Amino acid sequence: MKINVMQDVLQANDRIAGENRQLFKKNRNLVLNLMSSPGAGKTSLLEKTAEKLAGKLRLGVVVGDIETTRDADRIAKYHIPAIQLTTGTACHLDANMVALALPHLSLDKIDILVVENVGNLVCPAEFIVGEDYKIMILSVTEGDEKPLKYPLMFRESSLMLINKIDLLQYTNFNLKEAKSNARKINPDIDIIEISCTKGTGLDEWISWLTAHYQKKLGDLTNA
Amino acid sequence: MHEMGIAQNILEIALEAAKREGATKIIRIDLVAGELRGLVPMQMTFCFGIVAQNTIASSAYLNIEETPVTAHCDDCGADFKVEEYKYLCPKCGSAKVQVTGGSELRVKDIEIE
Repeated sequence: MKINVMQDVLQANDRIAGENRQLFKKNRNLVLNLMSSPGAGKTSLLEKTAEKLAGKLRLGVVVGDIETTRDADRIAKYHIPAIQLTTGTACHLDANMVALALPHLSLDKIDILVVENVGNLVCPAEFIVGEDYKIMILSVTEGDEKPLKYPLMFRESSLMLINKIDLLQYTNFNLKEAKSNARKINPDIDIIEISCTKGTGLDEWISWLTAHYQKKLGDLTNA
Repeated sequence: MHEMGIAQNILEIALEAAKREGATKIIRIDLVAGELRGLVPMQMTFCFGIVAQNTIASSAYLNIEETPVTAHCDDCGADFKVEEYKYLCPKCGSAKVQVTGGSELRVKDIEIE
């Protein structure tokens, strides 16, 4: 006997993501799901962002790693609330893992919450956690063909930061090619070139962040 | 390895539906998976075989129907299949396209005894 089921496989995740989203809305948080391959510069970006936003907007971080609390330790030095989730063997953060971290944060004292996902260009793009935007970092040492190899992440992201731009001359990374590959997959993607070590492009990144925070507040007021 | 988590969810959905019908055995599960999901069917059936052990779905056949990425052009109104991740209208070349399909991941139906 055949039975019609028609049930979304990720509906449990999506339901919890919806609950997270309600909580973020209540606390007026802009929430970003930050993704990249390991070593592209997620934690470095957060360190620089914490420095730049100090005294202006309040940052909070949920960070996922398979093991260790090194990233949270690095971020905590900037006196911003950071919760480390060690995922064990899981290759991504899902809505439920993020939900477990939220009671440990004072969301009402946070303006922008960044969920730093597990370093991986595949699985994190599959699971929504309740974010407003997915953003990603591609570093020039990884190669300009990555958008074509891992299309879902580039498709899902609203912003691509191209990091380690100061190392460009030492690599065969073709900047024009990387941008055109990303835009083939996602014509609307914003792209900012940055260097976390040299400080290049960070003001532009902060402007993007501030503008999207203001937009979220505007949307909440109009809602 | 997100296939393992997904396999677990598929199993739970199928077991619940089977229970509602008072089934003693699940013979087949039809899964619809959009191309954007990037599921690897071989890995998916392998993971499903593991999580389904010792359940009434232990010998179930997991049939995966892959659906293409489709889009709609806002400029000329064409509906088309997206090939090789080129999100450009094949008719008018516009980049103003909305994805209309390809991210589904759904248990469509199950066959039970």
